[in-house]
Amino acid sequence: MHPLLQPLFYYLWIAPHVLLAAILLLIARRKLRRQFPMLFLYTAFEIVQFGVLFTLWLRYGHFGPEYNRLFAGGTAVSSALRFGVIYEVFGQLFADYPALTETGKTLFRGVTIVLLLAGVGLAIFMPGKSISLLMLAAKTLDRTVSLLQCGLLLSLFIFSRHFALSMRSHAFGIALGLGTYASVQLATSAVLLYVGRATNPLPNLIIMGAYHCCILIWIYYLAIPERTALRVLHPLPQHNLDIWNQELEHLLQR
Amino acid sequence: MIITTILAFVAMLALSGLLWLAKGHASASKALENPVEQIRAVDVEAFRNLIDPDEEEFLRTNLPPAEFRRIQRERLRAAVEYVSCAAQNAAILLRLADAGRRSSDPATAEAAEKLVNNAIRLRLYALHAIPRLYLGMILPGARISPVRIAESYEQMTRLMVLLGCLQYPTRGVSAAL
Repeated sequence: MHPLLQPLFYYLWIAPHVLLAAILLLIARRKLRRQFPMLFLYTAFEIVQFGVLFTLWLRYGHFGPEYNRLFAGGTAVSSALRFGVIYEVFGQLFADYPALTETGKTLFRGVTIVLLLAGVGLAIFMPGKSISLLMLAAKTLDRTVSLLQCGLLLSLFIFSRHFALSMRSHAFGIALGLGTYASVQLATSAVLLYVGRATNPLPNLIIMGAYHCCILIWIYYLAIPERTALRVLHPLPQHNLDIWNQELEHLLQR
Repeated sequence: MIITTILAFVAMLALSGLLWLAKGHASASKALENPVEQIRAVDVEAFRNLIDPDEEEFLRTNLPPAEFRRIQRERLRAAVEYVSCAAQNAAILLRLADAGRRSSDPATAEAAEKLVNNAIRLRLYALHAIPRLYLGMILPGARISPVRIAESYEQMTRLMVLLGCLQYPTRGVSAAL
């Protein structure tokens, strides 16, 4: 790695995890643990994973096979927990709109199946290159997971826009942060899998930068107070008021 | 290489879409500050007439087939406009009713909840109805009757009145919004 890029690498490796600790504190202080248990678990796991990997790196001074094994295992657990976070965001949205619960569940299942098939198809027909089988598996999993997560979050935004649903600001921020990270990760993991052993550190730095952005978005939305829908005090046009006034008369006559 | 490029392009497209949708979500509440400009007139009776199966049958029996198909297409195109208007109004009312759901008055909260559910249902009906209406335009002989849209729209306007009365009993319906 270019010496000039090294400070950036260490910053992007360490800073998001320090910020994750702040998120953990925010969740605890704002009593959001019950509302977002998976986010809490994910944040805690990421911090612990970083602690272990960082200690390993300090001990050996390089990213050796032990580091890679732990990193691959951690990636799998992290990915699973991120699905939990996405499911939590979906759950929050549909809990606010019971009329959409069934449609929402169908959408979640349908999109998951379609994207899973696409991910598996890509893994079979475009396996990628890597120096070790373990890293190849980890990167393939990464790509499949980011495809699924990116698609799920995009469909969540499209769905809530179509139905004009107002997502709570915390859930909105979590979805936005995770969506940003997942889409950048999808692009870079596809490139990394294609080139095999990355001699150019840029894709990794981009993923790390996107993760940093995701954490900053989470911090912002978790720090601001939960926004509620606006109460608008404006008159409506006459054509609607006519119908409504007729109904009002019906009500008054009862 | 081609698949990698496509995947990277799709990912970037997804990111742009996500940011655009998120921006739209954030500005949606601002846009609702003046619903007068956004709510469009929906003549429920005219809509009922357009999708009335008896009316359609009458036209079918009294007009030459080519003329009937042309008129039926026009009628369905107008019906799509009505459904789109009703769905758009439903989206606006849904956001307005969201505030009422958090009211401390149980009656207001209940009316707002019902209005939200009705508005969502109407948008769901519209989602099903619009493709069917377009199908009807392609195949003018097919029977399509999205009557539930009209019923749901009427129910929604009734609920809006009720919500207005509950929230602002002394100022009338318009003040509630």
